[in-house]
Amino acid sequence: MKMEDMSLSGLDNTKLEALAQDIYSDLVEDACLGLCFEVHRAVKQGYFFLDDTDQESMKDFEIVDQPGVDIFGQVYNQWKNKECVCPNCNRSIAASRFAPHLEKCLGMGRNSSRIANRRIASSNNMNNKSESDQEDNDDVNDNDWSYGSEKKAKKRKSDKVFLHSLKQHIPLNPNSPRRSKSVKHKNGELSNSVNADPYKYNYNTGINYETLGPDELRSLLTTQCGVISEHTKKMCTRSQRCPQHTDEQRRAVRVFLLGPSASSLPDADTMVESDCYDASDGQVLMSRLQWDGSSDISPSDSASSKASTNNSDSKKPKKKKKTSLGLNSTGGGGGGSGSGGGSSSQTSLVGLSNRKKKPKLPVPPAPSIYDNLN
Amino acid sequence: MSKDSKMRATINQKLTEMGERERLKELLRAKLTECGWRDQLKAHCKDVIKEKGLEHVTVEDLVVEITPKGRVLVPDSVKKELLQRIRAFLAQHAT
Repeated sequence: MKMEDMSLSGLDNTKLEALAQDIYSDLVEDACLGLCFEVHRAVKQGYFFLDDTDQESMKDFEIVDQPGVDIFGQVYNQWKNKECVCPNCNRSIAASRFAPHLEKCLGMGRNSSRIANRRIASSNNMNNKSESDQEDNDDVNDNDWSYGSEKKAKKRKSDKVFLHSLKQHIPLNPNSPRRSKSVKHKNGELSNSVNADPYKYNYNTGINYETLGPDELRSLLTTQCGVISEHTKKMCTRSQRCPQHTDEQRRAVRVFLLGPSASSLPDADTMVESDCYDASDGQVLMSRLQWDGSSDISPSDSASSKASTNNSDSKKPKKKKKTSLGLNSTGGGGGGSGSGGGSSSQTSLVGLSNRKKKPKLPVPPAPSIYDNLN
Repeated sequence: MSKDSKMRATINQKLTEMGERERLKELLRAKLTECGWRDQLKAHCKDVIKEKGLEHVTVEDLVVEITPKGRVLVPDSVKKELLQRIRAFLAQHAT
């Protein structure tokens, strides 16, 4: 080892440099030889010239170097100025605008249906004169329904096809029947126009109670919620159990529209009380009255027990079931105290019957039942 | 001189044993491909082959034609870098 060290350290720089050069040239020669072997093998195996194109093709695909043309020989805006005739509307359209035009013309693109729906929604808006900027309002969700739009509902299907084929020729006449893609409603069903604006519920059509007669109102009110929204003055078209309005509201509306005597609420809630009264089973009723003595007696209830015929008019803050039970308890208390109490229970029961009964029933068969009891 | 040759032999041996030679080779090959040296030389090969005729080309023909040209065509940057590395190695291991 010592000998090697001594020999190595004895080298001077020139020799080192020469050595470095030698090593370098060895490396380069290795690289060249490697290439030669590769090429030779490719030649002998026959794949050396495979990646070349033949001369003929070379001439065909040569790079074009003329002015006004790109390297493939194509003119840049060759089709820009050409015009095509639309097969649908037979107008001549610029080539670059042809595709979007066709989309709208045929009514088949994404945008075209959106625009059509929006147009219809805004035309309905103008027709119904509703206040339209209420997106974040609760009442927006009322399926308000316009009487006028019901007429247009019948034309909906034919309009759809007609509308699409003639779309671009429709003048901006909002009242034209062709443009009325309608807003036909059953309870809770959405119209087409809603789909165009997913964030705006269909608020622009609703029942205007002023236009309806009393019979119509009554029939409406028996099936629908009917609560009049403050903002649009229209009636809610949802079912009787619509979650947006309370029973109190519904009752108030009926009182308002139909008059005090005719208010009726065919609710499922009150089945317990009204049905058993209708069955005229006084005993059962009495037992029910005595059963529930624990519910609160609202002040309006005691007032109603005095005013037997008109207690349905009073607006009770509590929910219906509770107030009716409260009434029961007063009746029960009355019943328990004997004949004097019996008469008061009679009146309270009369009040009960008035509130729950349908308007056509005669007021009290109650005295006859309690004659038996007494 | 024999000392020199002995010394050279030693160094070469060290170069190989430590794997530095292989590394340098790979480095050179990569750099030459990168800078287009390979393609240039290949084109030259094509000419030679077309000249000599496809069937009768031998390895010797190619080597004789290609190697001198190859040596010349190596770009300066590649050469410098390689020499630098070799000198570094020598400096580290020769003294």
